[in-house]
Amino acid sequence: MEHILEIKNLRTSFMTSNGEVQAVRGVTFHVDRGEILGIVGESGSGKSVTSMSILQLLGTTAVIKEGSSILFDGQELTTLKKKELRAIRGEKISMIFQDPMSSLNPLIPVGKQVAEIIKEHHPDRNKDELKSMVLELFDRVKIPEPKKRYGAYPHEFSGGMRQRVMIAMALANRPELLIADEPTTALDVTIQDQILKQLRELQRESGSSIIFITHDLGVVAELCSRVVVMYGGLIMEEADIDEIFENPKHPYTLGLLRAIPDIGQDKSRRLTPIEGTPPDMTDPPKGCPFAARCPYARNICAVKQPEYVQLGEGHRSMCWLLDERAPKENNPFVV
Amino acid sequence: MVKYFAKRFLIMLAALFLIALITFVIMHAVPGSPFTGEKKISPEIQAALEAKYNLDDPLPVQFLDYIRGLLHGDFGPSYKYTGKTVNDFIYNGFPVSAKLGLITIVFVLLTAIPMGIVAAVKTGRWQDMTIMAIATIGVTIPSFVIASLLIYVFAYRLNWLPTFGLDSWKGYVLPVVALGGYSMSYLARLMRSSLLEVMGQDYIRTARAKGLSETKVILRHAMRNALIPIVTVLGPTVAGLLTGSFVIEKIFAIPGLGVHFVNSVSQRDYTTIMGVTIFYAAFLLAMVFLVDIFYCLIDPRIKFE
Amino acid sequence: MDDFTKQTGGGELPCENPWGMLDADSRDMEKLSGRNRSFFSDVWFRFRRKPTAVAGLVMILVLVLFALLGPFFTKYSYSDQNLDLVNIPPLLPVFEAEDGSCYFYITQSLKVVTVNRDGTLDRQLTRLREDDKQKMIYFDYNGEEIVIFYGMQPYVIANPETRMIMERAKVWNRSYILGTDTLGRDILTRLMYGTRVSMLVAFIAVLVNLVIGIIYGGISGYAGGTADNIMMRIVDIISTIPLTLYVILIMVLLGSGLHSIIIAIGTVYWVDMARVVRGQVLTLKQQEFVIASRTIGSSTKTILTQHLIPNAMGSILVTVTMLIPSAIFMEAFLGYLGIGLQPPLASLGTMCNDATENLKSCPHQLFIPALVICMIMFAFNFVGDGLRDALDPKLKK
Repeated sequence: MEHILEIKNLRTSFMTSNGEVQAVRGVTFHVDRGEILGIVGESGSGKSVTSMSILQLLGTTAVIKEGSSILFDGQELTTLKKKELRAIRGEKISMIFQDPMSSLNPLIPVGKQVAEIIKEHHPDRNKDELKSMVLELFDRVKIPEPKKRYGAYPHEFSGGMRQRVMIAMALANRPELLIADEPTTALDVTIQDQILKQLRELQRESGSSIIFITHDLGVVAELCSRVVVMYGGLIMEEADIDEIFENPKHPYTLGLLRAIPDIGQDKSRRLTPIEGTPPDMTDPPKGCPFAARCPYARNICAVKQPEYVQLGEGHRSMCWLLDERAPKENNPFVV
Repeated sequence: MVKYFAKRFLIMLAALFLIALITFVIMHAVPGSPFTGEKKISPEIQAALEAKYNLDDPLPVQFLDYIRGLLHGDFGPSYKYTGKTVNDFIYNGFPVSAKLGLITIVFVLLTAIPMGIVAAVKTGRWQDMTIMAIATIGVTIPSFVIASLLIYVFAYRLNWLPTFGLDSWKGYVLPVVALGGYSMSYLARLMRSSLLEVMGQDYIRTARAKGLSETKVILRHAMRNALIPIVTVLGPTVAGLLTGSFVIEKIFAIPGLGVHFVNSVSQRDYTTIMGVTIFYAAFLLAMVFLVDIFYCLIDPRIKFE
Repeated sequence: MDDFTKQTGGGELPCENPWGMLDADSRDMEKLSGRNRSFFSDVWFRFRRKPTAVAGLVMILVLVLFALLGPFFTKYSYSDQNLDLVNIPPLLPVFEAEDGSCYFYITQSLKVVTVNRDGTLDRQLTRLREDDKQKMIYFDYNGEEIVIFYGMQPYVIANPETRMIMERAKVWNRSYILGTDTLGRDILTRLMYGTRVSMLVAFIAVLVNLVIGIIYGGISGYAGGTADNIMMRIVDIISTIPLTLYVILIMVLLGSGLHSIIIAIGTVYWVDMARVVRGQVLTLKQQEFVIASRTIGSSTKTILTQHLIPNAMGSILVTVTMLIPSAIFMEAFLGYLGIGLQPPLASLGTMCNDATENLKSCPHQLFIPALVICMIMFAFNFVGDGLRDALDPKLKK
């Protein structure tokens, strides 16, 4: 089996008192063994909800709807019993979250929290074994003075260090898949760089697959081999990393690319952000979710959702402008 | 950290001194005060007071005398009852009240914390609604109403429990419930909201992502964080039990310090009022101080204040 | 939207002019949900949505009306005593006269009072004689003799000749709707006065607290720096000791009486209010600073004063609403301990205190005023909760 993870038609909603919030509305993609897949989108696009649906970490109001399928190494995750799911969490699939300060328990020493994930899945290890394993992990993620840091509390660490702790924790049991949900968003740019390098190295060493979620296409370029672009609970475009940058085929992707600051760019060229705000997911748009903000949108875009158009090996996009009937004026995808 | 506590301790002593001063001044300097000799008191008591306090000395000297006495644990003679000293009241009454108070605290913690946990874990469902309804009632209805209700139902009507007397364990049931009702309800609500807030935190999600079962998540990660507000509020809780004891001891005829205090008030036994007030103040300040120390021990973030 | 379908090889496009540019109106780029309301109507709207809060408000109004207007509708005053009619319950256990003309009620002092069929108490029967051996007391009823037979518990009324116990019945007391107390005073009237007194004490005491709290907190917040520090320190020290102790001490000094209670409660509970006011003043100060740095346009100064002052008032209002139950409780507490008002003045607390000795025989004497206390506490607590939720910006829909 090539794909370590295969998601088909995932639909996740939150049942709130204001109604059903359809955060993910039919998402299909896969992750190969050993690859780093990037999921890009802004807040509210559904990227985090998608990733948290894999391990079902979303809380009691969330529902993974009928017809969704998440296959991990051939096993269907959506129908697993709680006990089986827990055996996978932290052992076969691990997660890193966005804010390392709030993601660590402030009252428990850091070493203990990392040891906990090992102990949970390998209860036969004794205290000393656990401690030495944790120290070794701290070494791998390059935390200085690991022995001293073992008994320290989260608030005694800087942001970057905390995230390294989280990475150490996530990799402790050598999972086959690591899901990193915006791990660098809360960090300074310089630290961001270090963490990314770290992840690249660790992935090379262990060969595990990574799903890297971010809103920053620039970060994706550094790390990922393939990218999925999400908006409004759906995938807009999916392609290899080079394709996405050289041959983008979706107005939203175009918008994201234009918004990336380029250090060598002409100072007189203004950064072009994408106008508008994400749609309201309690009442999702009937047509293409991006239509309201798309500079090339046509009437059909607001009425009916386009179908995916295959554009080559591993490259697909959901846009009416790619349809054979689409007009040529005001169409960025026509040569 | 030691510096911090040394500072707190000194402030505590200062507060105590201030309270003693204020109480003393009120009792002595306000016109119509009992010590100015305008009120008629029996000659024996007058003699006892004079022997003790040298009422002819200037006030500051009297005050220092009083403080000196306090430091030796001597609260002076009773104003109303010949031959009795305030010490008698305190040393006889306090152990009784303390025992009742201790049992009540244990009862309160053993009921409120589980109640809060269940209400938080089953939030929105009938367990939550029922527990919160009980807690709301307990917080709103005054303790003497609850006490009367309990007596009426369980002692008079059903005859299961005695109306007064602490001879058997049965005698403790009603007073403890009546005394602890308010605190139990308050703490249950606090436990619930605190736990709910903690459960929404990111580190709980991390704990789940590690593969921990829900029980382990609650016990190992959620509880210690959720209990912190409870510890914070322990000081005022004890204070509440203290004032609650005035009413409860009266209703159930328990010979504790609370009922002595109330009697001394209605009897205008001024020296006793003064002495017991200072004793209470000292006790409460000490409790708050202890809770502070305990709080520092359990929350590592505080060490770096 | 199937007006115009374009048939091509790729399938239908259910749209008129599918490839026309999407115009700006059809895009809902930034949908702002919710109508705009002014601050106060917004608060009121959210307050209204909580049933407990509305119920609380209604209850308060009912109680206020009860306390203020009630006494006009009863024929007794709160101090009228009738020592013949002590401890009469609201539901009378009576005996029906054999000719059905009226009922008989046995009073606590072993007299017989006739009760009309509508429940009103009529007159006392003349006591004729007592027969020890037979355990009967004879009374004259319209020329006939009836007796109280006290050989069995509870006592009964019988016909001495036929020795038939008269029919038992229960009749609602129409003369004293809630019964009488140990001195024969009408409980309903006393209840009304008691509610009036309790609420009066609470309102005035809270008002005094409000004033002192605003002044203290205002100065502390405005002055800032060391002065603020010291003032807040003092507040901290004061609040370590339960305020009940202070109140009791002050009551000792000032003696009993309405004014004493008001002064005592009024000068002690300002601590919370001071803290809240100080917090609001500090926020206000920060906002002014921001205005001064011109990061916000000057036209928003009015908006800020229109938003901040109402907001500050909101927090103060919530604190006031929650202070009232504390004051009511404190007054009832003092009354119950006997440190409160003196007879014949009644407050809900003193009524409860008076009733404790009769708890076993006449529970209603305690539980009726207790019920009113509870109603007041519940009402204000619910209203306070509702206000707090209505003012909380995080809960905006």
